[in-house]
This record gives sequence, structure tokens and C-alpha cells, in this order.
Amino acid sequence: MKTFTSVLRSAVLAALVLSPALAAAQNYPSKPLRMVVPFAPGGPNDILGRLIGQKLTEAWGQPVVVDNRGGAGGTVGLEAASRMPGDGYTVAMGGTSNLALAPSLYAKLAYDSVKDFTPVINVAVVPYALAVNPTVPAKNVKELIAVASRKAGYLSYGSSGVGSMSSLAAEMLKSMSKTDIVHVPYKGTAPALTDVVSGQIDMMLADLALIKRHADTGRLRMIGVTGLKRSAAAADVPTIAESGLPGYELSPWFGVVAPAGVPKDIVGRLNGTIAASLKSQDVIQRLGGLGYEPLGGSAEQFAATIKSDIAKYAKIVKTAGIKSEL
Amino acid sequence: MLETFNSLMMGFAVAFEPKVFMYAVAGCIIGTLVGMMPGLGPLAGISLLLPATFGLNPIIAIVLLSGVYYGAMYGGSTTSILMRIPGEAASVMTCVDGYAMTQNGRAGPALAIAAIGSFFAGTVGVIGLMLMAPTLASFALRFGPPEYTALLLMGLFVLAYMSGGSMLKTLAMAFFGLLLGMIGIDVMTGYTRFSFGLVELGDGVGIVPVAVGLFGISEILMTAGQAEPPKVQKPKLRELIPSREEFRLSVGPIIRGSLLGFAIGIIPGSAHVISSFVSYGVERRLSKHPERFGKGAIEGVAGPESANNSAATGAFVPMLALGIPTGPVTAVMIAAIMVHGILPGPMLIEQQPELFWGFVASMYVGNMVLLILNLPMVGLFVNLLRIPYAYLYPCILAFCILGCYSVSNSVTDVWIMLGMGAIGYGLRKFGFDLAPVALGLVLGPMLELSLRQSLAMSGGTYAIFLERPIAVTMFGLALLLLALALKPVLFKSRDWRADVGLDDKTDGAPPGK
Repeated sequence: MKTFTSVLRSAVLAALVLSPALAAAQNYPSKPLRMVVPFAPGGPNDILGRLIGQKLTEAWGQPVVVDNRGGAGGTVGLEAASRMPGDGYTVAMGGTSNLALAPSLYAKLAYDSVKDFTPVINVAVVPYALAVNPTVPAKNVKELIAVASRKAGYLSYGSSGVGSMSSLAAEMLKSMSKTDIVHVPYKGTAPALTDVVSGQIDMMLADLALIKRHADTGRLRMIGVTGLKRSAAAADVPTIAESGLPGYELSPWFGVVAPAGVPKDIVGRLNGTIAASLKSQDVIQRLGGLGYEPLGGSAEQFAATIKSDIAKYAKIVKTAGIKSEL
Repeated sequence: MLETFNSLMMGFAVAFEPKVFMYAVAGCIIGTLVGMMPGLGPLAGISLLLPATFGLNPIIAIVLLSGVYYGAMYGGSTTSILMRIPGEAASVMTCVDGYAMTQNGRAGPALAIAAIGSFFAGTVGVIGLMLMAPTLASFALRFGPPEYTALLLMGLFVLAYMSGGSMLKTLAMAFFGLLLGMIGIDVMTGYTRFSFGLVELGDGVGIVPVAVGLFGISEILMTAGQAEPPKVQKPKLRELIPSREEFRLSVGPIIRGSLLGFAIGIIPGSAHVISSFVSYGVERRLSKHPERFGKGAIEGVAGPESANNSAATGAFVPMLALGIPTGPVTAVMIAAIMVHGILPGPMLIEQQPELFWGFVASMYVGNMVLLILNLPMVGLFVNLLRIPYAYLYPCILAFCILGCYSVSNSVTDVWIMLGMGAIGYGLRKFGFDLAPVALGLVLGPMLELSLRQSLAMSGGTYAIFLERPIAVTMFGLALLLLALALKPVLFKSRDWRADVGLDDKTDGAPPGK
């Protein structure tokens, strides 16, 4: 009898010890989730994070608390997220800039995009477009390169800051077309775009949706999109590659990551639920309004994308000679 | 014209729909409460509330947010006047004379004039917005980096009129502010400066923690350092209403401040924060008794408060007419309507007339609600001063920390605020004036960026500043300002400074001491 009690006791004990891991997966989610958004409220990253959060809440009945931690191009928030427990209750809305570009840009980056995170799902691709002020005599990329080649520093381009996606896209264009275009950095996309509209500077690469607003009213001329294929949002605009610069391709994305060490089945549940929501009509519509194209796919595919993009951007940064000592 | 009027009437019809109106009132109340939290200003207010509007319809969302915006601005001036705690950069100047008035027992009139000035400025702003939005917007677009440089340089020369103490001390403090503004990533090259390896300092030092620390925390420390606790004020009802003299003195500053603020506000960029500094400088320059400034001059409250309110309305001109955000606040507003799939811009007036005119009308309604709400509340707010300091100040300190943290969930900001409190305490003990630090910190990064952008555009030649008419005109004005400021120094003529005394030791001292 005594043996039975002790066996029972150890069985209970074993169950207690093992249960957190087991129960965690079975009962998941049993408490509210945290969605770290590494930018201030109101930006595309924030809107996307909240949309995904809302969809998770609808599916699971658990509230998703959005935690905005902006700063240093989205790296402050990701760093904070990387230090949180990898139990599936913390996720973060990352993107090309802070997951794939930051490792080669910032020498002192406090996280490793591959080792410190569990990729969950690639959410959406953000098509970028090249726009010029209508006074610039170039109807396509080929003509633009011709104009820029007349004289070094003849044209100027605006960006949302050194090392931002918009400056990277322009530097890539410069180094591939062997032109010298003056870089005028701004603090954020909006003021830079304002100055392209008003003709203070000549051109800019930015979110297609932002550029389209001004292109529709004739304030800007959109001459190319950065993707491999034309964007559904502006089907009449050719890709930069077909418009005069073969081989040019840039497809920034947003994706959900979690801190390292999240159990596989929890990642699967997160991935499945978000993937399903990306197929729902209202999400497609909301993303379309922002000019984004929903992606989806498995966590493994996302992991592969992050890895290959880290290598890709390292190469671009090296060729273009951009650096930051942060 | 008639068409505009009819559209506006339609807008008012939208704004007075019971549901919309209810949200406007709710927005104003929430905004006032948020603004009264030390360190939380309009931007923090609408950013915190933004997610809550995603589920509402777009008209209600924008009406609610603009209510919060105006409410928070008004709430911010309340704490500036009563406790010397600015909620944002624009209310720094209000701290100086507003708080001095509180110490003189004139908190009620200061609050009332601030409310009336804000209402008048809001009216001017809305009328200007309505009549001139399309014309002004295209003019505003001619402002590029060179014009911006000229404008900011003008703002810098206002320094000369800002402080009552010695010119050397004023300049030293402005220099300190400019140096603080150097911290962070250099936008032109991507290198970080003076960040000591702290990632959080990469984006620079925020104005809110610095202003709250320098003004608010230092005041708490000063009070704690006195041998005797300051007497708790017992404001009487009679003292709440501005005297006829105070009204008379406020009329000019309110009108000038409103026009000046609107003009600066329509310029894309963040220049509108300097409107209150410029207005203060202008009023001091025009005043027959500039020595009263800093010691509770009602003009020093009326001008800046009006300027900052009409600048806020002016900032909506480029946003509504062109879809271009003029600063962080309008960027959040644009995000709020973009979430609903509506793109602001030139097409907005034609595609969404109810939204556009409803918004314009609700701004006006919001201003009215605030006035009605706040004038009777002045008595209530002033009664906060009845709380003994031993209870009041620890609470304020706690709220300062809470407010400062919640702006961007950053503990670094809290440390900056506390550090600045200690520095502010030390500087005030030596009789330094702190407003120039705030102006330097606000202006420094913007001036540097636009100067270097201009030079990048011109390939390094300064001729770009002489080739552009608007820039040349403003540089001329800036030089004139400088010459006027230098005149007494060069010709040793009697300046108003002589009447003030070089070392103004009364700064920060409690009344009756």
C-alpha cells in the first residue's frame, strides 16, 4: 500500500512538473497576449499590429494588448521583445528594416535577428514605388537615369533618414545605374514626400500607397515599382526592372515574430490563426486600403525569408557604403 | 463664398447631431484630464486614444480626437499656470508668467484669460482654415528647407527678448539647450552623437521630459528646500475673474498671438511649437513695461496661449487641403481616418464633404465646449491650490513620473526628467532662467537639419539662401530683430534690462518672501 502511495505521489509530482509544458500548449492561450509594436501609434506597423491583434482576439477570446515601443528605427522595441519570455504570450510586429536590414547596418545591434526570435508568419509585403516631381523630364526609369547621368549631383532624392528603407532603395538604384544623386535625408517619410511634391527635391522611393495619393492628383509622377512583379494597386506602373534598370528588386515586408524558444505547436497555432485571418475579406480590404499585399505561408518559410534577406541587404549595404555606428 | 457658407452649415448640422456632439464633449473632457496630467500633452493624448477610435465611424473618430487635442492643450496650460508643469513644448512660456501670477494670487484670471484667448484664437483659426485653406496650402508648399532655416533663425533671435536676467546667462542657457539638441542620431550621416552607447538616446532627448524636469521637478525641489513651508493659498471667488485692467492688457496680445500663430501654423513641419515662444518675445518687445514679464504679466499668458491654439488650427490647413501631415499630431489624425480607408487630401472635400465640413465645424464646437466647460471649472481647478504642499507635491511628483513614462513607455525618459529636475534646481539657485533651454532644445535639431538639407540641395553653396525670395525676406527680418536686440548693447543706451537688475534672484522665490 505504501509503495502504491509513493508511486502515486511520484506520478502526481511528475505530472505537476511536466504539466506546465503540456498544459501550456493545450490550454494556450489562457491569458492575454502582448503584441509589441516597435513604432509609435498610428504608423503602418502599428495599424498592422493592431489588426492582427484584433483577429487573434476574435479567434481565441483572449485580449491582445498592444505595446508601442518606438525608437531607433524599430530596433528598441524588438530588443525589448527579444528579452521577454518565449512562451507564446509575447509577439512582435517586425519588418524588413529591423529584422533583415538592421543587422548589417548597426554594429552594436543588441539582438540577433535569427537566434533571438521565433519566426511566426510573414504578414504582408509593402510595395515601394519610385516617384519624381512632375517637373523632372523623365517619364520612365531609363530617362531618369539619363537625366541623372548628365552631371553628378544634378538630381536630389529625399528619404526618411540615413539607413531607412527609402534611402536604401535609392542607394541601390544609384549604385546599379552608376549615377550620382544627392541624398537629402528627412526625419520621416511624410516631410520628405512633402518636399518632393513641392519640388524642393526631385525624387523619392517610398510606400506605394503614400505616393499613389499624390500621383492620382498629378502632384507626383510614379515611374516604377520596386517589386519583382507589378503591384495590383497600380497595375499600369511598370517595375523598375522593366522600366530601365534590369535586376533591381526590393520587396519590404512586415511579419510577426516571437521571442526565441516558443514551443513548436504554439507557433503552429499562432501561424494558423493569423494565416486564416489574412484570407478573410475584411483583412484583405484593410490591407488593400494601405496598399499592402497579404502574404501568409508557414513559419519555416518566414524563417528562410529572414535569413536570405539578411544576406541580401548585407550585400546592398556593403556596395552602397552605408553605415551607422549605433 | 455662399457655397462655403452652405457647406459649413452642413458641417454644423453634422457636428450638432446628438451622437457626434456627445463625442465632441467627451473628447474635450478626456483631453482636459489627459492634458492636466503632468508631461502628457496633446500628442500623447491623441496617441493613447487613437486605438480606441478604430471601432468608431470616421467622422466620430476625428471629432473625438480633435476634442482630445484641444482639451489637452487647454489642460496643459492649466498645469503650467497652477503648478509650473508644461504638458508640451508649446506651453513652456505659459509656465513663466502664468505660474508667477499664481504665486501672486492671480491664478483665476490667468486661467480665464488663457481660456478666452484660446477660444478667440480657435475662432480665428477655424475662419482662416475655412476661407483660405486651398490658397494657403499651396503657399505653404513653397516652404522648403532654406525658408525653414530662415524661419528658425528668426525664432532663435527671439531669445534676446525672452528672459529678464543678464544677456550672458540667457545665451548660456540657450547654448545648453542647443547642446542637448545635439544628442542623438545625426540625420544626415546616421552617426550617433553623445548617446553614450544608450540606444534610447539614439532618437535624441525629448522636449517633454526636459521641460517637465526643468520647470516642474525643480519647482518641487525649490519648495522643499525652503525653511518654512509656503502658505497654502485660499483663493476667493472675487479673485477668479480678471480685472478690467487685465482684460485691457490682454486684448492686443490675444489678437496678435492668434494671427501670428496661424501664420506659423500653416507651414508644414514642426515649426508651430515656436509660435508661443515668438509670441512671448513679440509681446515683451512691444510692452511698455517689459520688466513685468517673468513676474506675472498677463500679456505673457494671453499671447503665447492664443498663438499656440491658432497654430494648432493652422496646422490642419496643409493636412486637409493637401493630405500632408504638418507634424506628429496631424500625422496621428491622418492615421485615424486612414484606418477607415479614407485618404485625406485635395479630394477629401469633394469625396467626403460631411467628414471635411463636419470636422471643421466640430473644431469650432470643440472650442466652444471647452470655453463653456472650463470657465466655470476655473474655480474648481484653483481650489487644487488649497491642498497643503506636503500632500500636493508628492502626488505631482508621482504623476510626473507616470505621465513621462506613458508617453513612450520609456524608463530612460523618466531618468532624463529627474536628472533635468536636479540640473534645473541647481541653475535656478544661481539665478539662471530656464525658458531659453527649452527654446534651444526645440530649435537646435530643426535648425541644424534644415540648414544641412539646404546645403545638400545646393551642393554646399550658401547662395541658395539668397536665391529664394521668401528666405531672403525672412533673413532680412531676422537681421532686423538681431540689430534691435544689439542696439542697447552697442550704444550703451538704457535698456529695459537696466530696470530689471542683472541678477534676478527673485526667480522661483515664493510670494511674500
